[in-house]
Amino acid sequence: MTAVRAPAAARPVHATRGHLRAAARLLRLELRRNAMAWMLPVAAGLFWLTAYHKAMAAPPLWNLRATSMQKGALVAFACPVAGAAAWMGSREARRHTTDLVTITARPRWARLLTTWAATTCWAMMGYLGCVAVLYGVTAQQATWGGPLWWPAAVAAAGLSAVSALGFAAGTLIPSRFTAPGAAIAAFFALALSTVLIHGSQSYWQISPLVTGPWDIGPDAGVATFYPYLPDLSIAQVMFLTGLTIAVLGALLLPNGPGGGWLRAAAATVSAAGLLAAGTAVALAGTGKMDAHGMIAIPALHDAVNDRPVHYTPVCSRTAIPVCLNPAYTSYLPAATAALVPVLNEIAGLPGAPARISQAAATYQQGIGNSVRASLAGPSISGTPPVLRLLLPDQLLGPGMTTSALATALRASAGPAIVAGVTGDSPGVSPAQHAVAAALRMSAGLPQSSPSAPGMQPPTATGPLPIPVRSAARRFAALPASARHAWLVHHLAALRAGRITLAQLP
Amino acid sequence: MTAGTAPTVPTTAAPGRKAQLAWPPRAGIRLLRLHAASRRAPAAIAAIAACAIGLRIALLGHWNTYGALQLPLVFEAGAAAAIAVTTASPLGEPERLTGRWLPFLRLATALALTAAAAGALTAAGTGAHLAGGTLDVLRNLAGMTGIGLLCAAALGGRLAWAGPTAYLVVGVYGLQTQWHPPALTTPWIWPARPPHDLGAAICAALVFTIGMAVITARGARDPAGE
Amino acid sequence: MNVEITGLTRRFGQNMAVAGVDLRAGPGVFGLLGPNGAGKTSLLRMLATAIRPTSGRLRLLGRDPGSYGPRREIRRRLGYLPQNLGYYPGFTVAEFVEYFALLKEVPAAQIPAAVAAAIERVELGGEAKTKLRALSGGMLRRAGIAQAIVNEPGLLLLDEPTAGLDPEQRVAFRALLRELGQRATVVVSTHLVEDVGAACTQVALMDAGKIVFHGAPADLTARGEGHGTGDAPLERGYSAVLAGARS
Repeated sequence: MTAVRAPAAARPVHATRGHLRAAARLLRLELRRNAMAWMLPVAAGLFWLTAYHKAMAAPPLWNLRATSMQKGALVAFACPVAGAAAWMGSREARRHTTDLVTITARPRWARLLTTWAATTCWAMMGYLGCVAVLYGVTAQQATWGGPLWWPAAVAAAGLSAVSALGFAAGTLIPSRFTAPGAAIAAFFALALSTVLIHGSQSYWQISPLVTGPWDIGPDAGVATFYPYLPDLSIAQVMFLTGLTIAVLGALLLPNGPGGGWLRAAAATVSAAGLLAAGTAVALAGTGKMDAHGMIAIPALHDAVNDRPVHYTPVCSRTAIPVCLNPAYTSYLPAATAALVPVLNEIAGLPGAPARISQAAATYQQGIGNSVRASLAGPSISGTPPVLRLLLPDQLLGPGMTTSALATALRASAGPAIVAGVTGDSPGVSPAQHAVAAALRMSAGLPQSSPSAPGMQPPTATGPLPIPVRSAARRFAALPASARHAWLVHHLAALRAGRITLAQLP
Repeated sequence: MTAGTAPTVPTTAAPGRKAQLAWPPRAGIRLLRLHAASRRAPAAIAAIAACAIGLRIALLGHWNTYGALQLPLVFEAGAAAAIAVTTASPLGEPERLTGRWLPFLRLATALALTAAAAGALTAAGTGAHLAGGTLDVLRNLAGMTGIGLLCAAALGGRLAWAGPTAYLVVGVYGLQTQWHPPALTTPWIWPARPPHDLGAAICAALVFTIGMAVITARGARDPAGE
Repeated sequence: MNVEITGLTRRFGQNMAVAGVDLRAGPGVFGLLGPNGAGKTSLLRMLATAIRPTSGRLRLLGRDPGSYGPRREIRRRLGYLPQNLGYYPGFTVAEFVEYFALLKEVPAAQIPAAVAAAIERVELGGEAKTKLRALSGGMLRRAGIAQAIVNEPGLLLLDEPTAGLDPEQRVAFRALLRELGQRATVVVSTHLVEDVGAACTQVALMDAGKIVFHGAPADLTARGEGHGTGDAPLERGYSAVLAGARS
């Protein structure tokens, strides 16, 4: 073998390139022979059965799908990733190659880091593939908005941390029980991380399973009218990345004599990771639910995200248009059908709204874990008057199907619209009660219903007196045109209380 | 080694069937003990005990809805995974080529560990608010142990944990869907079914029985190269 | 000198596995004989920098392996084949050798050629793409030898290298040893005295953690004349020296 001496200036460049090439070759070798590749079908199957199904059951709103994906992906991937990483970490001990690899020149940290990186690469590839499928399907279904990338970033950082912890466990305890122990522990830790959350200000919000105020849960009204706040996601990514770095730094400490500088470097890296993680936890503890239903962390907050998202509403072509945020386009036909009977009754009447417009909800933390969602501002405003309402899906509670939403909307908003036009409320004249009841009957609305948030409360829930009911039935039995014509002429007097029951046709 | 006079061995008649049947019970117990030690059964028992203690500690808290049912499932999966990984044989082919006792040893070890896990987890739940009760624990444990044993036969004992842990995620999700529809109601996801559900019990028992039969007859797949 | 040992000891709990060894070895093939439990493997592992000595002075390839930097330099030029070879069954022969070439920091550009050469030298060229789990015991051993020589080591340590090799392969292997010994120090620990006689220029005999003989194979043979037991001259020399050391 003859040695060829390269020019002095080129030697460091060549050396660096050579190191990189060697590192790439080593990584390629590890990628080809990694247990995580075999666990991907398990992880993908779990993702499909749990996260994908759950996300697809939610309406095609980016905020719902993305937050569901963040939680579901972590739960589905945590066990396989932790177990596979622990398996790879224990490889040298299981295969009795410890001596063989220890006496090689490449530092222990480089060797272990390469194995971990290969395991995590496979995990990321599987995860990103699942994200691509879910987001791709959502992109085809969603009517507005775009993918939310912060939830994907949090889950990715979470998987990286799970992989690091599993790998460390396998390296330190190369027993046959380590891989299953790591898998179960990862799942349990994730599940337990959310148990201790109370209210909307908690250090435990740092858990990667938390996508917003824990008491709200997945809510269609959040991150639609206002941008998705990345504050909590940033803190979570910082925490998970810091944790990963701290674990790897501690693991890669040299275990032989000498290498003081290496030991110091590894300790510094670990300390930096711990500092980052601790800072993130502290930041999460300062986070509070804002009026738009998301966690705002003062130190990370960008005021730009407090401005509402501009959008062009989608409206129905009815006498009184029903206008929704374009993200809810799929609900427009059902919402319109639910409200058209009552809108036909009041269209053209003095004081009737020119438009029904969906508004953003505002959220308030109550006592303990309760949260209240309501309409911000008056329900009717502007000239000509616009009636603002919340879709039932924007309120807290389980998600609704389209038909369930239409039913709930008709039951809550319909009577409130009638009451708004007729001035019906507790204490007004019997004629007003009768006319309101008649309009509800004509529109097929329930006579008593829960009040729509932020809207004028409907009549008292008790049964109407017999004379009022009789007058209502009489008025409702009129042809629609006659009823409408009478209201056009007499609505102002009715609202002023000057019409008696006997004066009703 | 030096050449010398070999020690004299008393000549006996070739052992007949009577002698084979009259194998001393102490030898049988010793064989079982050595077999269990080779499979790291003491460590598995320690792992099962840790699961039981963990369950007991966790039950000190008050859990509601599906959380109360999901929590014991985590520890049941842990115990099932610990039982499954004990099927791995460190001895490989030489052990397989021995006499007829190996299947019985495998069966006895798996059954004993399952019984120990059932006892430990049931005891951990006694006097505490164990949602689902003892029936739930026994059904879930048996079913997941069966999955672990089938995985051991397919993938090898050391990778058998993949089955119970994957099923844990499925079971946890299935339980959640009972409160957040659409619900998964298939009896093959038995943790999501009520404790007295006959279909779920049959499915779990079937999986357990098949797993036991396979592991008894074939044992865990030997990893390549060992 | 590639190996310089002075007063080297190694203790495992109460057991003194190596109880004071002095040795100097330059290029050539150095045989290490001894009964089971004599301390050969422990000595070899110390030379391989796998374990640290309890006491004594050790210099390998002109460097002290006690410090991180020199130890890393030594390991770049070291080859080691342990008695019980661990391996990853899913790797092919080529991947296995390449893996160790990478770990030994063979320059990346030279790796493909080095791997191919090492595999050919152990006559596994036809099995380069075969997974290790599919190899026979002897082939596996040869794959182990290939990973030990892929970096053209200056110090090659082989513990029972011919275990599992058939006679024809052992002959080829001895030729390889002689060839390697022209440039490097090769230390071979073995029970097979014929390997020592055929390939080694120097031989040491260990017993109870100490070296009880150090010299040429011919000198060991001479010690057995009229004294030792065994079927071959070297065996007689071996047994005679041991008997003398134990009396």
